[in-house]
Amino acid sequence: MAEMTRRERILTASRRQMADRVPFFHNWRHCQQGTVERDCRNRGMGLSWERPSYTFTWHGVEVTETYETYTTAVQTLRRTFKTPVGTISLVEKRGAGTGQWHHMRSWQDVTPWQTERAIKGPEDYKVLKYMYDNLEVEPDYFPLEQAKDWIGDDGMVWDWLPHAGLQLLMIDWVGSEGGRFFVHHARYPDLVDETFQSISRAYEPLWEIAAGSPADFFLLADNIDAVLVNPKLFKRYFMPEWEKCCTALHAGGKLVGVHMDGRLKALTGLIAETSIDVVEALHVPQMGDLSLGEALAAWPDKVIWTGFPGSVYALGPEATKQQALAMLRDMGTGERVCFEMSTENLVSNENLAMLTSVLEHATLPLTPEKIDAIERSLR
Amino acid sequence: MTQEEHLQALRDAITAMDLDGIAAVAQAAMDAGVDAQKAITEGMVPGMVEVGEKFEEGEYFLSELVVAGEVMKDGMKVIEPYLTAGKGEAEAKARAIMATVEGDYHDIGKNIVVTLLGVQGFDVIDMGMDVPASRIVEEVRAQRPLVVGLSALLSTTMARMGDVIEALKQAGLRDSVKVIVGGTPVTPAFADSIGADHCAVNAIEGVHVCREWLKQAKEGK
Repeated sequence: MAEMTRRERILTASRRQMADRVPFFHNWRHCQQGTVERDCRNRGMGLSWERPSYTFTWHGVEVTETYETYTTAVQTLRRTFKTPVGTISLVEKRGAGTGQWHHMRSWQDVTPWQTERAIKGPEDYKVLKYMYDNLEVEPDYFPLEQAKDWIGDDGMVWDWLPHAGLQLLMIDWVGSEGGRFFVHHARYPDLVDETFQSISRAYEPLWEIAAGSPADFFLLADNIDAVLVNPKLFKRYFMPEWEKCCTALHAGGKLVGVHMDGRLKALTGLIAETSIDVVEALHVPQMGDLSLGEALAAWPDKVIWTGFPGSVYALGPEATKQQALAMLRDMGTGERVCFEMSTENLVSNENLAMLTSVLEHATLPLTPEKIDAIERSLR
Repeated sequence: MTQEEHLQALRDAITAMDLDGIAAVAQAAMDAGVDAQKAITEGMVPGMVEVGEKFEEGEYFLSELVVAGEVMKDGMKVIEPYLTAGKGEAEAKARAIMATVEGDYHDIGKNIVVTLLGVQGFDVIDMGMDVPASRIVEEVRAQRPLVVGLSALLSTTMARMGDVIEALKQAGLRDSVKVIVGGTPVTPAFADSIGADHCAVNAIEGVHVCREWLKQAKEGK
């Protein structure tokens, strides 16, 4: 088989076809730049980059931001949303480096945390509902076109789709600290459902906009973990939204993945019922609760983009090597799997080089003999 | 209704997660003269234990655990004014301090442990999220707990657990407490490397270990 480009490799595997070797790539927002990164890319590591195909405009909403604390080490920022039906505000804490590095990550690769939530009590839901009832979604394909042009065949640019309604509430607006979302869902079910419906309606144009996007692959940011999203919630609030997305995007031959880096065992059967193509950022035990072999067997029509566990990186290159070899041995012939070097953490040069050393010779189909040879070459 | 029927109704309200009904059930028990301490220890607490067991078995999820805890809080609001001073202090409880370490704003696992330890008879002091090592040391000095539980979700923040253990050593308090660490990226090898007493594989296993420590403490081991 002729050597594939990094982009071809990822797309081929994601379409459940046999690539020339196991695709492995690093996510732009966690990726260092420099000697080791360049060396790893020369040895087959691809890049992935996420950008949106849309813009959001809240009509009738006055958004203001005020710094309550400002040093270059930490900033505390209050964001206020004033609408004709009321005002809500949240407080966000940003670590050093936020805005100077990729995305909104601090130097330590931590996203800003909300230390005060916008939805504090039942009276706040009407404001949020108003905001989503007055949300306009418009296409903006420039960020994707630009990134595709820049990255060329060195990797993949995907269209980044926001949290679906329930995750928006659970993660972004209400929060799950202290079980807050579950308490609201139990005490104010109508308010939660009405707001969810408003978000769902507001996002209807998003799927059509995405269908016209230049991206080949679309990632729903849903961040699924069954500890938070139990099967009842998953069935009621996630599956219908994903179906709308998949219906629109599959019509144009596009691929849909969902970010699911948590514990998924309790959702195994339900995930199998969905139409998504890729389970993105699967984490094997101990960070997750499904091995690669179990995931491949449970979802025979899906592709796994596996994340590499940060807990292993913390133990250094030798542990990284052993973990990577164990994962290769759990992949069968290796079809339907891509390796993401990291979906959550910065990776040291030593670990990145070691993971590349294991994966660069992982030609497909994998066999136990090939993996043994890789192991011997690294002694 | 008999006293036993009132206690059963309280248990049922917890296991059914009856947020709307608990206040009336608790008030009815108090009006019928059910002892307030009994209403808690033989009514609501067994209900929470049952919910905890279903959580352990995978039948219930975090949402059920949280909502059942919320039902219990509502019941306590009704029952607490009926508690007679001194009666609730029949047995001194072992204390546990729980915290998510500095820089980390995740508390789901920690909160599960807090709930389950409370059900298992610990007096739990939940210090919340983003807690600096110095505050944990102050709290240990003031509260003299049996257990300090440290939680982190991020591999970037789990190193702060080691800072807490080091600060406890510096303060001469390390040997007075058991330190248990947990969270998605935390491994036994990491826990060993920072000198923790135990790495919780998950919340349930961690609570079992704390119960074992409590048992050993009671036996003077």
